[in-house]
Amino acid sequence: MTKYVKYVDVTKCDGCRACMVACKNWNDLPAEHTDFLGSAQSHPKVTADTWNVLQYIEHENGKGDLEYLFRHSSCFHCTEAACEKVCPEDAISHTKFGTVVIDQDKCVGCGYCVQNCPFEVISLKEYKDKNGKTYRKSQKCTMCTDRIEEGLQPACVTTCHTGAMEFGEKEAMIKKAEQRVKEIKDRYPNARVYNPQGVGGTHTIYVLAEKPSVYGLPENPKVPTSAILWKDYAQPIGKAMIGATTMAVVGAFVTNKFFSKRAEKAEQEDGGESHE
Amino acid sequence: MTLSVVSKEYQNLQKEIIRHQEQWKQMIDRETIKPHLDQAVMATGVPAVALTTIDFNISLFLQWVDEIITILVKNNPELEQKLAGISSLLDEETAIRWIEEASSFHQAYFEKFAACHRLEQWIPSFLAETALRPYLQLTAEMVQPEIHHAVPGAGCPVCGEPVRLASLEEDGKKVIPCPRCLAHWQAKRLECSHCGNDDHKKLQYLTIEGDAVSQIQVCDECHGYMKIIDTRQYITKPSAALLDLNSIHLDFVAQEHGYRAVGEKIGRC
Repeated sequence: MTKYVKYVDVTKCDGCRACMVACKNWNDLPAEHTDFLGSAQSHPKVTADTWNVLQYIEHENGKGDLEYLFRHSSCFHCTEAACEKVCPEDAISHTKFGTVVIDQDKCVGCGYCVQNCPFEVISLKEYKDKNGKTYRKSQKCTMCTDRIEEGLQPACVTTCHTGAMEFGEKEAMIKKAEQRVKEIKDRYPNARVYNPQGVGGTHTIYVLAEKPSVYGLPENPKVPTSAILWKDYAQPIGKAMIGATTMAVVGAFVTNKFFSKRAEKAEQEDGGESHE
Repeated sequence: MTLSVVSKEYQNLQKEIIRHQEQWKQMIDRETIKPHLDQAVMATGVPAVALTTIDFNISLFLQWVDEIITILVKNNPELEQKLAGISSLLDEETAIRWIEEASSFHQAYFEKFAACHRLEQWIPSFLAETALRPYLQLTAEMVQPEIHHAVPGAGCPVCGEPVRLASLEEDGKKVIPCPRCLAHWQAKRLECSHCGNDDHKKLQYLTIEGDAVSQIQVCDECHGYMKIIDTRQYITKPSAALLDLNSIHLDFVAQEHGYRAVGEKIGRC
């Protein structure tokens, strides 16, 4: 199956926030009241009701000039997704397109995914049912998987008027990003492709104008060791243990039946009386 | 979200046929198609194919008809009995007649042919049209540099197919692709392709709730409609034939609202 990647070239972004509006519109997400942050940025970070946020960063470049840096921030859809690994309910999974999605029916709102995401892009939303009982569910960008299934690009990409975002096959997008970095190196000496290998690469890749930390991104994000231990070792061993225990119980049951039948038969052959 | 009401099985069948038509097109000798375009004549609405000499390879045409039958039977084995024996009805003379009648949309001929040979009504016209398209598509490919616009109401400037579909492309350009011959030309955003009406007060748009990519432009002047698909939203732009098929629900909606696929100015002599 073709793996797709969302390509974001922050150097082409003009901070219009149409991607935020398109996301809210497509996913039917409610508006949120937010405090003034001292800049044009509307939300401090993504939330359960705002799956992508346009960051406005005031940055002093190497020449001492002040620059406004913009970045469309949302889920990275990591190949080695920590959220998926720590989820005790298997509620988080990869789709055939490479996107990471949450099964809302399985999510129990434990919050492990929120705590372990290296990019802090998952949030818990609190709901109240008709009986007044509250429960929580994890929420994040789905990369518009429902649109991709119908051959459409994510809503944020289709609305981007500067061409800062594109959507396409993984190899083509990575190549495009590498080429773009070469083109802008003169203007942005720190420019780079952000596709961190510590999480196996991501399905949202960036052309950044500056170091990742300038954008509040981890320089070398990794899947927490505890998550790897839990998902890749503890769970399979646990399942194997359950399997072994089940096999032992079934084995004991069959053996008991078999031996008790043989014993009964032997008893009858040895002159056991019939009750008839 | 579902973009189309057409079943995946039928979509796959159409994709397979389109794939074959593309291969068949490559088999045609380009020298056998000689367009003699006369812009003055075309300006009156005469399609380019009527001004083109095509030396059809009849044995190739018959081979394609057989291949279409094979594809249909593979996708739906129940059709085997209905399609059996058609090849034996097609001699060179009949094949030439099929090509002529399909080129001129002569539906009555095919209905009569079906009745005479006790075939289901759709079969002869479907086979003839499907096997003819590679020739039309190659003609369109060859004359495309000369095709810039269409005469309102005259249909496709290459094959004459009635216009019913437009796509929105880069920079919001409205491009009309022909689902039959795949020719394409640009049109004004605010203009009815059936009657040329460009009065914005008489052009309306019907939208379908939950359908993020399409709308229907309807004209209150001629009561014609046009399906408009925003193909910029697609990862890979589908072919015009598939766009037309997958948006068939829009035809139903437009026709339920009293609009027609071919507009007619009321009270016109």
